[in-house]
Amino acid sequence: MWRPSRVDRSTGAFIGLVIACLALVTIDLRASGEGLGGTLRDGVQAAFTPIQKAAAWVTRPVVGFFEGLSDLVGLRDENRVLRLQVADLQGQLAETESLQRRVEELEAILAIEPPEGLDTVAARVLATGPSDFDAIRLIDKGRRHGVTVDMPVVDEGGLLGRVVSVTDTSARVRLITDPTMRIAVRVERTGEAGILTGRGGGLMQLEMFNTDTALIEGDLLVTADGRFPAGIPVARVAADADAEVGFSLRTTAVPEGELSRVDYVKVLVFTSDAVGSQEPEGEEPVQPPLEEQSTTTTAPGPGTTTSP
Amino acid sequence: MKWRRTAVAVALVILGVALQTTLFVRLRPFGASPALALLVTLAVSRHMGQVSALVVGFATGLLLDLLSETALGLWALVLTCVAYATVRLRRRFEDDVTLLIPGVFLLSFSTLALYALVGTIFGEQTLSDAQVVRKMLLPAVYNTILSPLVLPPITRLLRARPGTGRGLDL
Repeated sequence: MWRPSRVDRSTGAFIGLVIACLALVTIDLRASGEGLGGTLRDGVQAAFTPIQKAAAWVTRPVVGFFEGLSDLVGLRDENRVLRLQVADLQGQLAETESLQRRVEELEAILAIEPPEGLDTVAARVLATGPSDFDAIRLIDKGRRHGVTVDMPVVDEGGLLGRVVSVTDTSARVRLITDPTMRIAVRVERTGEAGILTGRGGGLMQLEMFNTDTALIEGDLLVTADGRFPAGIPVARVAADADAEVGFSLRTTAVPEGELSRVDYVKVLVFTSDAVGSQEPEGEEPVQPPLEEQSTTTTAPGPGTTTSP
Repeated sequence: MKWRRTAVAVALVILGVALQTTLFVRLRPFGASPALALLVTLAVSRHMGQVSALVVGFATGLLLDLLSETALGLWALVLTCVAYATVRLRRRFEDDVTLLIPGVFLLSFSTLALYALVGTIFGEQTLSDAQVVRKMLLPAVYNTILSPLVLPPITRLLRARPGTGRGLDL
Protein backbone atom coordinates (compact mmCIF):
# COMPACT_ATOMS: atom_id res chain seq x y z
CA MET A 1 0.00 0.00 0.00
CA TRP A 2 1.26 3.51 -0.87
CA ARG A 3 2.15 5.69 2.05
CA PRO A 4 3.21 9.30 1.82
CA SER A 5 6.92 9.67 2.61
CA ARG A 6 7.62 11.25 5.96
CA VAL A 7 8.39 14.98 5.72
CA ASP A 8 10.88 16.18 8.31
CA ARG A 9 10.13 19.18 10.47
CA SER A 10 12.29 21.68 8.63
CA THR A 11 10.88 20.70 5.25
CA GLY A 12 7.36 21.05 6.63
CA ALA A 13 8.19 24.49 8.01
CA PHE A 14 9.82 25.44 4.69
CA ILE A 15 6.74 24.45 2.72
CA GLY A 16 4.53 26.37 5.15
CA LEU A 17 6.66 29.52 4.87
CA VAL A 18 6.77 29.30 1.07
CA ILE A 19 2.99 29.09 0.99
CA ALA A 20 2.81 32.08 3.37
CA CYS A 21 5.14 34.06 1.07
CA LEU A 22 3.08 33.26 -2.01
CA ALA A 23 -0.08 34.27 -0.15
CA LEU A 24 1.57 37.56 0.89
CA VAL A 25 2.64 38.30 -2.67
CA THR A 26 -0.82 37.58 -4.00
CA ILE A 27 -2.58 39.68 -1.36
CA ASP A 28 -0.16 42.58 -1.83
CA LEU A 29 -0.46 42.53 -5.61
CA ARG A 30 -4.23 42.42 -5.39
CA ALA A 31 -4.18 45.40 -3.04
CA SER A 32 -1.77 47.24 -5.40
CA GLY A 33 0.53 48.10 -2.53
CA GLU A 34 -2.27 49.72 -0.52
CA GLY A 35 -4.16 48.22 2.42
CA LEU A 36 -2.30 46.31 5.11
CA GLY A 37 0.85 46.01 2.98
CA GLY A 38 1.03 49.76 2.44
CA THR A 39 0.40 50.49 6.12
CA LEU A 40 3.06 47.97 7.17
CA ARG A 41 5.54 49.46 4.69
CA ASP A 42 5.00 52.99 5.99
CA GLY A 43 5.22 51.83 9.60
CA VAL A 44 8.38 49.78 9.15
CA GLN A 45 10.02 52.50 7.06
CA ALA A 46 9.20 55.09 9.74
CA ALA A 47 10.62 52.82 12.44
CA PHE A 48 13.69 51.91 10.43
CA THR A 49 14.55 55.44 9.26
CA PRO A 50 16.30 56.42 12.54
CA ILE A 51 18.41 53.25 12.29
CA GLN A 52 19.28 54.08 8.70
CA LYS A 53 20.08 57.67 9.67
CA ALA A 54 22.43 56.42 12.38
CA ALA A 55 24.02 53.89 10.03
CA ALA A 56 24.42 56.54 7.32
CA TRP A 57 26.05 58.88 9.84
CA VAL A 58 28.47 56.18 10.96
CA THR A 59 29.32 54.90 7.48
CA ARG A 60 29.61 58.25 5.68
CA PRO A 61 33.30 58.79 6.54
CA VAL A 62 34.07 55.21 5.48
CA VAL A 63 32.26 55.73 2.17
CA GLY A 64 34.03 59.07 1.68
CA PHE A 65 37.39 57.45 2.28
CA PHE A 66 36.77 54.63 -0.20
CA GLU A 67 35.34 57.07 -2.74
CA GLY A 68 38.47 59.13 -2.49
CA LEU A 69 40.57 56.02 -2.91
CA SER A 70 38.59 54.83 -5.93
CA ASP A 71 38.98 58.25 -7.55
CA LEU A 72 42.68 58.05 -7.00
CA VAL A 73 42.83 54.56 -8.50
CA GLY A 74 40.98 55.83 -11.56
CA LEU A 75 43.62 58.47 -12.15
CA ARG A 76 46.53 56.15 -11.50
CA ASP A 77 47.92 56.09 -15.01
CA GLU A 78 48.05 59.85 -15.30
CA ASN A 79 49.36 60.44 -11.84
CA ARG A 80 51.81 57.57 -11.41
CA VAL A 81 54.73 59.88 -10.60
CA LEU A 82 52.73 62.26 -8.47
CA ARG A 83 51.21 59.47 -6.45
CA LEU A 84 54.60 58.59 -4.95
CA GLN A 85 54.92 62.13 -3.67
CA VAL A 86 51.45 62.30 -2.20
CA ALA A 87 51.30 58.77 -0.79
CA ASP A 88 51.72 59.97 2.79
CA LEU A 89 48.93 62.52 2.31
CA GLN A 90 46.54 60.05 0.69
CA GLY A 91 44.31 59.54 3.69
CA GLN A 92 43.88 63.25 4.34
CA LEU A 93 43.42 63.95 0.64
CA ALA A 94 40.71 61.33 0.27
CA GLU A 95 38.80 62.80 3.17
CA THR A 96 39.25 66.37 1.92
CA GLU A 97 38.12 65.46 -1.61
CA SER A 98 35.07 63.75 -0.25
CA LEU A 99 34.14 66.78 1.86
CA GLN A 100 34.81 69.14 -1.02
CA ARG A 101 32.63 67.09 -3.38
CA ARG A 102 29.80 67.21 -0.88
CA VAL A 103 30.12 70.97 -0.49
CA GLU A 104 30.11 71.39 -4.28
CA GLU A 105 27.08 69.15 -4.62
CA LEU A 106 25.28 71.05 -1.91
CA GLU A 107 26.13 74.38 -3.54
CA ALA A 108 25.04 73.08 -6.93
CA ILE A 109 21.79 71.65 -5.62
CA LEU A 110 20.96 74.92 -3.87
CA ALA A 111 21.61 76.81 -7.10
CA ILE A 112 19.17 74.77 -9.18
CA GLU A 113 16.49 76.93 -10.72
CA PRO A 114 13.25 75.00 -10.50
CA PRO A 115 11.04 75.20 -13.61
CA GLU A 116 8.09 77.59 -13.56
CA GLY A 117 9.11 78.99 -10.19
CA LEU A 118 8.07 75.85 -8.36
CA ASP A 119 8.81 75.52 -4.69
CA THR A 120 11.45 72.98 -3.85
CA VAL A 121 12.53 70.93 -0.87
CA ALA A 122 16.25 70.15 -0.58
CA ALA A 123 16.93 66.67 0.77
CA ARG A 124 19.77 64.30 1.41
CA VAL A 125 19.85 60.68 0.25
CA LEU A 126 19.89 58.44 3.31
CA ALA A 127 19.64 54.96 1.92
CA THR A 128 19.30 52.86 -1.15
CA GLY A 129 17.03 49.93 -1.98
CA PRO A 130 17.79 46.58 -0.36
CA SER A 131 19.23 45.18 -3.57
CA ASP A 132 20.63 46.31 -6.91
CA PHE A 133 17.30 45.38 -8.47
CA ASP A 134 15.54 48.07 -6.42
CA ALA A 135 16.19 51.38 -8.17
CA ILE A 136 14.96 53.42 -5.21
CA ARG A 137 16.51 55.94 -2.83
CA LEU A 138 15.34 57.02 0.60
CA ILE A 139 15.55 60.78 1.25
CA ASP A 140 15.44 62.53 4.61
CA LYS A 141 12.41 64.72 3.90
CA GLY A 142 8.83 63.57 4.12
CA ARG A 143 5.23 64.59 4.60
CA ARG A 144 6.18 66.98 7.39
CA HIS A 145 8.32 68.96 4.92
CA GLY A 146 5.65 69.11 2.24
CA VAL A 147 6.73 66.12 0.18
CA THR A 148 3.93 64.02 -1.28
CA VAL A 149 3.65 61.05 -3.60
CA ASP A 150 4.37 61.66 -7.32
CA MET A 151 6.59 64.72 -6.86
CA PRO A 152 9.58 64.88 -9.21
CA VAL A 153 13.08 64.72 -7.77
CA VAL A 154 16.03 66.41 -9.50
CA ASP A 155 19.71 67.07 -9.01
CA GLU A 156 21.96 69.60 -10.70
CA GLY A 157 22.04 67.43 -13.86
CA GLY A 158 18.32 66.85 -14.28
CA LEU A 159 15.49 64.51 -13.41
CA LEU A 160 16.38 61.67 -11.02
CA GLY A 161 13.02 60.09 -10.31
CA ARG A 162 9.74 60.58 -8.53
CA VAL A 163 8.45 60.09 -5.02
CA VAL A 164 6.54 56.82 -4.68
CA SER A 165 5.87 56.70 -0.94
CA VAL A 166 6.13 59.08 1.96
CA THR A 167 6.33 58.89 5.73
CA ASP A 168 6.41 61.87 8.09
CA THR A 169 10.18 62.20 7.95
CA SER A 170 11.30 60.35 4.84
CA ALA A 171 10.28 59.51 1.31
CA ARG A 172 11.16 56.86 -1.23
CA VAL A 173 12.15 57.93 -4.70
CA ARG A 174 11.95 55.58 -7.68
CA LEU A 175 14.81 56.35 -10.06
CA ILE A 176 14.14 56.99 -13.73
CA THR A 177 16.27 53.96 -14.64
CA ASP A 178 13.82 51.55 -13.00
CA PRO A 179 12.37 49.24 -15.68
CA THR A 180 8.85 50.19 -14.59
CA MET A 181 9.44 53.91 -15.30
CA ARG A 182 8.23 55.46 -18.53
CA ILE A 183 8.70 59.18 -19.03
CA ALA A 184 7.16 61.36 -21.71
CA VAL A 185 9.98 63.47 -23.21
CA ARG A 186 10.60 65.92 -26.01
CA VAL A 187 13.77 66.34 -28.02
CA GLU A 188 14.83 69.89 -27.23
CA ARG A 189 16.29 70.45 -30.73
CA THR A 190 13.26 69.31 -32.73
CA GLY A 191 10.36 69.39 -30.28
CA GLU A 192 9.41 65.82 -31.22
CA ALA A 193 7.87 63.72 -28.46
CA GLY A 194 8.72 60.23 -27.35
CA ILE A 195 8.86 57.83 -24.44
CA LEU A 196 11.95 57.13 -22.36
CA THR A 197 11.99 53.77 -20.60
CA GLY A 198 14.28 52.64 -17.77
CA ARG A 199 16.37 49.54 -18.24
CA GLY A 200 17.56 49.00 -14.69
CA GLY A 201 20.62 51.22 -14.91
CA GLY A 202 23.00 52.74 -17.39
CA LEU A 203 21.41 53.55 -20.73
CA MET A 204 17.67 54.14 -21.11
CA GLN A 205 15.60 53.29 -24.15
CA LEU A 206 14.01 56.06 -26.21
CA GLU A 207 11.13 55.47 -28.60
CA MET A 208 9.80 58.38 -30.64
CA PHE A 209 6.17 58.91 -31.67
CA ASN A 210 7.12 60.57 -34.95
CA THR A 211 9.55 58.48 -36.96
CA ASP A 212 10.30 61.12 -39.60
CA THR A 213 12.86 63.22 -37.72
CA ALA A 214 16.19 61.56 -37.07
CA LEU A 215 17.87 61.69 -33.68
CA ILE A 216 21.45 62.88 -33.33
CA GLU A 217 23.86 61.81 -30.63
CA GLY A 218 23.91 64.41 -27.89
CA ASP A 219 20.32 65.59 -28.40
CA LEU A 220 18.93 66.72 -25.06
CA LEU A 221 15.69 65.11 -23.93
CA VAL A 222 13.49 67.14 -21.59
CA THR A 223 10.28 66.26 -19.84
CA ALA A 224 7.05 66.90 -21.70
CA ASP A 225 3.92 68.09 -19.90
CA GLY A 226 2.29 65.44 -17.77
CA ARG A 227 3.42 63.72 -14.62
CA PHE A 228 6.50 65.97 -14.51
CA PRO A 229 6.73 69.70 -15.16
CA ALA A 230 7.84 70.38 -18.73
CA GLY A 231 11.41 71.26 -19.57
CA ILE A 232 13.45 69.33 -17.01
CA PRO A 233 16.53 67.74 -18.62
CA VAL A 234 16.25 63.95 -18.41
CA ALA A 235 18.82 62.37 -20.71
CA ARG A 236 20.96 62.78 -23.82
CA VAL A 237 20.68 60.64 -26.93
CA ALA A 238 23.59 58.19 -26.89
CA ALA A 239 23.55 57.15 -30.55
CA ASP A 240 22.22 58.55 -33.83
CA ALA A 241 19.00 56.92 -35.01
CA ASP A 242 16.92 56.86 -38.17
CA ALA A 243 13.53 55.24 -38.61
CA GLU A 244 13.69 51.50 -39.25
CA VAL A 245 11.57 50.82 -42.32
CA GLY A 246 9.51 53.84 -41.36
CA PHE A 247 7.82 52.09 -38.46
CA SER A 248 9.79 52.84 -35.35
CA LEU A 249 12.49 55.19 -34.21
CA ARG A 250 14.40 53.84 -31.26
CA THR A 251 17.73 54.54 -29.66
CA THR A 252 19.37 54.74 -26.26
CA ALA A 253 19.94 57.71 -23.99
CA VAL A 254 22.23 58.49 -21.06
CA PRO A 255 20.53 59.99 -17.98
CA GLU A 256 21.63 63.53 -17.19
CA GLY A 257 21.27 63.12 -13.43
CA GLU A 258 24.13 61.66 -11.41
CA LEU A 259 22.19 58.54 -10.48
CA SER A 260 24.98 56.35 -9.19
CA ARG A 261 26.54 58.85 -6.81
CA VAL A 262 23.62 61.03 -5.84
CA ASP A 263 23.86 62.60 -2.40
CA TYR A 264 21.81 65.80 -2.33
CA VAL A 265 18.58 66.23 -4.29
CA LYS A 266 15.69 68.63 -4.67
CA VAL A 267 12.06 67.63 -4.59
CA LEU A 268 9.90 69.82 -6.83
CA VAL A 269 6.61 70.70 -5.17
CA PHE A 270 4.55 69.70 -8.17
CA THR A 271 1.83 67.18 -8.91
CA SER A 272 0.20 66.52 -12.25
CA ASP A 273 -3.19 67.19 -10.56
CA ALA A 274 -2.20 70.74 -9.71
CA VAL A 275 -1.22 71.46 -13.30
CA GLY A 276 -4.44 69.99 -14.62
CA SER A 277 -6.49 72.30 -12.40
CA GLN A 278 -4.44 75.37 -13.40
CA GLU A 279 -4.68 74.83 -17.15
CA PRO A 280 -6.31 77.83 -18.85
CA GLU A 281 -9.62 77.08 -20.44
CA GLY A 282 -9.86 77.00 -24.20
CA GLU A 283 -6.18 76.39 -24.68
CA GLU A 284 -5.35 73.68 -27.16
CA PRO A 285 -3.99 70.80 -25.12
CA VAL A 286 -0.60 69.46 -26.03
CA GLN A 287 -0.53 65.85 -27.24
CA PRO A 288 -1.00 63.97 -23.98
CA PRO A 289 2.05 62.03 -22.86
CA LEU A 290 1.52 58.42 -21.96
CA GLU A 291 1.66 58.95 -18.21
CA GLU A 292 -1.29 61.30 -18.38
CA GLN A 293 -3.47 58.53 -19.70
CA SER A 294 -3.13 56.82 -16.35
CA THR A 295 -6.21 57.47 -14.28
CA THR A 296 -4.47 57.37 -10.93
CA THR A 297 -2.19 59.99 -9.45
CA THR A 298 -0.93 57.84 -6.63
CA ALA A 299 2.19 55.75 -6.86
CA PRO A 300 1.74 52.45 -8.58
CA GLY A 301 1.84 49.58 -6.20
CA PRO A 302 4.31 46.77 -6.32
CA GLY A 303 4.15 44.88 -9.50
CA THR A 304 2.35 47.62 -11.33
CA THR A 305 3.95 49.83 -13.92
CA THR A 306 3.57 53.42 -14.84
CA SER A 307 3.04 52.50 -18.44
CA PRO A 308 -0.33 53.33 -20.00
CA MET B 1 21.10 30.37 25.55
CA LYS B 2 18.40 30.10 22.93
CA TRP B 3 17.16 33.61 23.72
CA ARG B 4 20.65 35.00 23.58
CA ARG B 5 21.21 33.40 20.21
CA THR B 6 17.86 34.71 18.93
CA ALA B 7 18.62 38.24 20.15
CA VAL B 8 22.05 38.17 18.51
CA ALA B 9 20.53 36.87 15.26
CA VAL B 10 17.91 39.66 15.24
CA ALA B 11 20.58 42.30 15.94
CA LEU B 12 22.78 40.91 13.16
CA VAL B 13 19.92 40.95 10.67
CA ILE B 14 19.00 44.55 11.51
CA LEU B 15 22.65 45.58 11.30
CA GLY B 16 23.04 43.76 7.98
CA VAL B 17 19.97 45.39 6.46
CA ALA B 18 20.91 48.85 7.79
CA LEU B 19 24.42 48.57 6.35
CA GLN B 20 23.11 47.13 3.09
CA THR B 21 20.84 50.11 2.55
CA THR B 22 23.16 52.89 3.74
CA LEU B 23 26.76 51.89 3.09
CA PHE B 24 26.27 51.33 -0.62
CA VAL B 25 24.36 54.46 -1.62
CA ARG B 26 27.47 55.91 -3.24
CA LEU B 27 30.01 53.14 -2.78
CA ARG B 28 29.10 50.93 -5.73
CA PRO B 29 32.16 49.47 -7.43
CA PHE B 30 31.29 48.68 -11.07
CA GLY B 31 27.72 49.78 -10.38
CA ALA B 32 26.85 47.00 -7.95
CA SER B 33 26.93 46.35 -4.23
CA PRO B 34 27.23 43.25 -2.03
CA ALA B 35 24.05 41.51 -0.92
CA LEU B 36 24.90 41.84 2.78
CA ALA B 37 21.47 40.84 4.08
CA LEU B 38 21.71 37.62 2.09
CA LEU B 39 25.20 36.94 3.45
CA VAL B 40 24.05 37.56 7.01
CA THR B 41 21.06 35.24 6.51
CA LEU B 42 23.37 32.56 5.22
CA ALA B 43 25.82 33.05 8.08
CA VAL B 44 23.12 33.05 10.76
CA SER B 45 21.34 30.04 9.28
CA ARG B 46 24.49 27.95 9.69
CA HIS B 47 24.24 28.16 13.46
CA MET B 48 20.54 28.36 14.26
CA GLY B 49 18.10 25.52 14.73
CA GLN B 50 16.56 24.26 11.52
CA VAL B 51 13.18 25.90 12.00
CA SER B 52 14.71 29.01 13.60
CA ALA B 53 16.97 29.42 10.58
CA LEU B 54 13.96 29.34 8.26
CA VAL B 55 12.16 31.90 10.41
CA VAL B 56 15.25 34.16 10.33
CA GLY B 57 15.35 33.88 6.53
CA PHE B 58 11.66 34.65 6.26
CA ALA B 59 11.84 37.60 8.67
CA THR B 60 14.92 39.10 7.00
CA GLY B 61 13.24 38.80 3.61
CA LEU B 62 10.07 40.38 4.93
CA LEU B 63 12.08 43.31 6.32
CA LEU B 64 13.70 43.79 2.90
CA ASP B 65 10.28 43.63 1.25
CA LEU B 66 8.95 46.28 3.60
CA LEU B 67 11.91 48.55 2.87
CA SER B 68 11.57 48.22 -0.87
CA GLU B 69 8.81 48.87 -3.36
CA THR B 70 8.58 45.29 -4.60
CA ALA B 71 5.65 43.00 -3.88
CA LEU B 72 5.52 41.95 -0.22
CA GLY B 73 6.81 38.39 0.14
CA LEU B 74 9.28 38.21 -2.75
CA TRP B 75 12.44 38.63 -0.70
CA ALA B 76 10.84 36.60 2.09
CA LEU B 77 10.36 33.72 -0.34
CA VAL B 78 13.88 33.95 -1.69
CA LEU B 79 15.63 34.26 1.68
CA THR B 80 13.54 31.42 3.12
CA CYS B 81 14.94 29.29 0.28
CA VAL B 82 18.47 30.47 1.18
CA ALA B 83 17.94 29.47 4.80
CA TYR B 84 16.55 26.08 3.77
CA ALA B 85 19.46 25.41 1.40
CA THR B 86 21.93 26.43 4.11
CA VAL B 87 20.26 24.20 6.69
CA ARG B 88 20.45 21.28 4.24
CA LEU B 89 24.06 21.89 3.23
CA ARG B 90 25.67 23.17 6.41
CA ARG B 91 26.92 19.80 7.62
CA ARG B 92 28.76 19.36 4.33
CA PHE B 93 30.27 22.84 4.74
CA GLU B 94 31.48 21.95 8.21
CA ASP B 95 33.04 18.73 6.96
CA ASP B 96 34.96 20.55 4.25
CA VAL B 97 35.56 24.22 4.94
CA THR B 98 37.04 24.73 1.46
CA LEU B 99 33.53 24.27 0.10
CA LEU B 100 32.29 27.26 2.08
CA ILE B 101 33.67 30.04 -0.16
CA PRO B 102 32.45 28.53 -3.47
CA GLY B 103 29.23 27.68 -1.64
CA VAL B 104 28.71 31.35 -0.72
CA PHE B 105 29.23 32.34 -4.35
CA LEU B 106 26.87 29.72 -5.73
CA LEU B 107 24.20 30.33 -3.13
CA SER B 108 24.38 34.13 -3.59
CA PHE B 109 24.23 33.87 -7.35
CA SER B 110 21.38 31.34 -7.30
CA THR B 111 19.46 33.46 -4.80
CA LEU B 112 19.67 36.59 -6.93
CA ALA B 113 18.78 34.58 -10.02
CA LEU B 114 15.77 33.16 -8.18
CA TYR B 115 14.78 36.69 -7.14
CA ALA B 116 15.05 37.90 -10.73
CA LEU B 117 12.93 35.00 -11.92
CA VAL B 118 10.27 35.25 -9.21
CA GLY B 119 10.23 39.05 -9.57
CA THR B 120 9.50 38.73 -13.26
CA ILE B 121 6.75 36.19 -12.65
CA PHE B 122 5.12 38.65 -10.26
CA GLY B 123 5.44 41.64 -12.60
CA GLU B 124 8.56 43.38 -11.31
CA GLN B 125 10.24 43.24 -14.74
CA THR B 126 13.55 42.20 -13.15
CA LEU B 127 14.61 40.07 -16.11
CA SER B 128 13.97 42.96 -18.50
CA ASP B 129 16.73 44.81 -16.66
CA ALA B 130 19.58 45.34 -19.14
CA GLN B 131 22.12 44.72 -16.37
CA VAL B 132 20.50 41.65 -14.88
CA VAL B 133 23.53 39.38 -15.22
CA ARG B 134 25.82 41.98 -13.70
CA LYS B 135 23.35 42.50 -10.84
CA MET B 136 23.46 38.79 -10.08
CA LEU B 137 27.13 38.15 -10.68
CA LEU B 138 28.84 41.12 -9.01
CA PRO B 139 26.97 40.92 -5.67
CA ALA B 140 27.78 37.20 -5.59
CA VAL B 141 31.47 37.98 -6.18
CA TYR B 142 31.41 40.71 -3.51
CA ASN B 143 29.70 38.35 -1.06
CA THR B 144 32.39 35.77 -1.72
CA ILE B 145 35.10 38.36 -1.05
CA LEU B 146 33.36 39.55 2.11
CA SER B 147 32.55 36.09 3.45
CA PRO B 148 35.90 35.61 5.26
CA LEU B 149 35.20 38.90 7.07
CA VAL B 150 31.55 38.21 7.87
CA LEU B 151 31.20 34.48 8.51
CA PRO B 152 33.86 33.93 11.22
CA PRO B 153 32.65 36.72 13.55
CA ILE B 154 29.04 35.56 13.19
CA THR B 155 30.15 31.99 13.85
CA ARG B 156 31.90 33.15 17.02
CA LEU B 157 28.82 35.07 18.14
CA LEU B 158 26.34 32.27 17.50
CA ARG B 159 28.26 29.07 18.09
CA ALA B 160 26.94 26.95 20.95
CA ARG B 161 29.33 26.93 23.86
CA PRO B 162 31.02 23.61 24.75
CA GLY B 163 28.88 21.63 27.11
CA THR B 164 25.65 23.26 26.02
CA GLY B 165 25.30 20.83 23.11
CA ARG B 166 24.16 21.97 19.72
CA GLY B 167 20.51 21.84 20.78
CA LEU B 168 19.65 23.87 17.72
CA ASP B 169 16.12 22.79 17.03
CA LEU B 170 13.27 24.92 18.22
